[in-house]
Amino acid sequence: MNQNSNIVLGIETSCDETAVGIVRGRTLLANVISSSVEEHARFGGVVPEVASRAHLEAMQSVITQALSDARIALTDVDAFAVTAGPGLIGALLVGVSAASGLSLALDRPLFGVNHLSAHLAVDALEGTGPIRPAIGLLVSGGHSSILQITDIASDVQVLGSTVDDAAGEAFDKIARLLELGFPGGPAIDLAARAGDPAAIAFPRGFTQAPDQAAHRFDFSFSGLKTSVARYLAATPNYLKADVAASFQEAVVDVLLQKAIAACAERGIDSLIIAGGVAANSRLRHEARIRCERAGIELRTPTPDLCTDNGAMVAILGSLALESGAKPSAVGIGADSSPGIARVIW
Amino acid sequence: MTTSLVIDTSTTRTSVAIVSDGITIALLNHDDALGHGEVLPRLVSQALSQLSAGSKLDQVIVGMGPGPFTGLRVGIAFAQSFAFAREIPWIGICSLDFIAPPSVPLDYLVATDARRKEVFWVRFQDGVRVSEPQASAPQTLKLLDLPSFGEGASKYGFSSDKTINYPDPLLMAGGFETALNYTAPIYVRRPDAFPAPVNVSFRPMNQLDLVTIFDLEKRSYAYDAWSMGQLKEEFAGKNRWYLVAEKEGKVVGYVGGLLIGNVTDVLTLTVDPSQRRNGIGRELLRRLIDWSRTQKVEALMLEMRVDNVEAQPLYLSFGFVEISRRPDYYGPGITAIVMRKDLT
Repeated sequence: MNQNSNIVLGIETSCDETAVGIVRGRTLLANVISSSVEEHARFGGVVPEVASRAHLEAMQSVITQALSDARIALTDVDAFAVTAGPGLIGALLVGVSAASGLSLALDRPLFGVNHLSAHLAVDALEGTGPIRPAIGLLVSGGHSSILQITDIASDVQVLGSTVDDAAGEAFDKIARLLELGFPGGPAIDLAARAGDPAAIAFPRGFTQAPDQAAHRFDFSFSGLKTSVARYLAATPNYLKADVAASFQEAVVDVLLQKAIAACAERGIDSLIIAGGVAANSRLRHEARIRCERAGIELRTPTPDLCTDNGAMVAILGSLALESGAKPSAVGIGADSSPGIARVIW
Repeated sequence: MTTSLVIDTSTTRTSVAIVSDGITIALLNHDDALGHGEVLPRLVSQALSQLSAGSKLDQVIVGMGPGPFTGLRVGIAFAQSFAFAREIPWIGICSLDFIAPPSVPLDYLVATDARRKEVFWVRFQDGVRVSEPQASAPQTLKLLDLPSFGEGASKYGFSSDKTINYPDPLLMAGGFETALNYTAPIYVRRPDAFPAPVNVSFRPMNQLDLVTIFDLEKRSYAYDAWSMGQLKEEFAGKNRWYLVAEKEGKVVGYVGGLLIGNVTDVLTLTVDPSQRRNGIGRELLRRLIDWSRTQKVEALMLEMRVDNVEAQPLYLSFGFVEISRRPDYYGPGITAIVMRKDLT
């Protein structure tokens, strides 16, 4: 039996996925995603206005589908949750406005939630009992951060983040250089399977002693990107698979080195890896090996819950409700770049 | 009895009203160009609190723009969800239809602020709207010299009454039944970053292209096509700029402009019939406009056949406005539309 059996509907529109998830307590009832990724593929990146238009077009049908999957009526929903930031402001506002409309029409509470926290909160789905403190490694197209999660609904602290590109962004850019298409993550993952991860020694940003002092848990991927570009320019007959595998290895290595160091330093024996890049098969494989070696419990959401989705928003709303957090005030708006410390609006 | 919740977020003003059979129960406005997302739920919450207990809403009426995209979508997303949750219908109408009160003269323009030095506008004749909403430079509209109303007309100094600026929710509640309905936001502009067509490259025309272009002319225009002699003359002429679009090594479209004083005359814009509707014409025209800016001209002008319904929306979407007509320009009975786009 769950601690609470409230039904929460969560809406996510921070980037290019229009997503609605529904949970009862910590049980997943529905998780529906409509993506405009194909439209963006034409430009090799997400176009904010295209994304915002697609959100509005898809919103009502995604909500309807989620209710149908969950076999509930909208009036059964006890509270709404919505990603209020960070993300593309025009895109966020479509979700926030839709959620506000639902909440005011039915007079139910609304929780504006932090997108990054939601990525980590998804780990609580299907769980029971208190949630253990953990280190979170959040890696996606827009973010690369190491977080200390003391209480997912109220106390999340940033230990470090990228100073330039997000890990997912680096994947997209390298995929473009290798003409592998967009989004780059899955394309490189696939191409790398036929390659040798040790073929080319690409640099590991911020892992050398001088950088370690100032950027212990920060990331930098721009040097790696430049290094790959130089290699391609200097090597006419390069092997795509080897470049993909060696680049991927450099990213995975840095991410895990730092995440595991954070666990050790903070005395926390649990690591959650979430965000779109957490779907990367090499990262998952390597994380399993290194965590086992370090005696750390590894928690990775299933790949479909790693990328942007509505279930993660719904579960964070549900955890907030469970912990007795105050709902957001009417008119929360959206915030394109809030600090992660702001978990609930 | 019918009670409506009315919402408009298409201008810098956020408006909310509850109207019941002509009686105003709540009317709330808030002026803030960027705050629609925060403001709208507060105004609706406040308006709902003025609705007496037990009385219910029967429908939501929402302004579908045109308007700055982000604010516009706030109102529409909210209205749709609210109506969905209450299981009541929502009705989308053109915001520009409800700015001028019935007391204004019968022939007039309504223009709101489209930002980027443009206005969204529509034209009314005999009190009836005769154009779809468009975005244009304010100078172009001034040339029409008609009574004008709305935030955009006020901002750019051609308003006939500076107190008439915003969509009026009470007019919306009273007039939605006879107005045109819209089920999607009225987008007049394409997204800024709309893509260049895939696998198409652009380069200045060279003499070797003339043969292909001659062939394209024949296939596209039949009797109006340029002869080889005219083409060669065009190619050799001064103050001209021709650009071709190439796909898989083949010329699939071209655009030409002629500098006359402070204006670029759009001489031709042609896309291979088999390659149309792929954004090639749009990209060619965009590049001609960009080139015109570099030449410091004030405006672009063009003549087109009145029956060329295929090309007209493209020009309208770039802010070209019909400023006059020339009868028999293309031969007896074939009128030319003269269009102009001011560069700001």
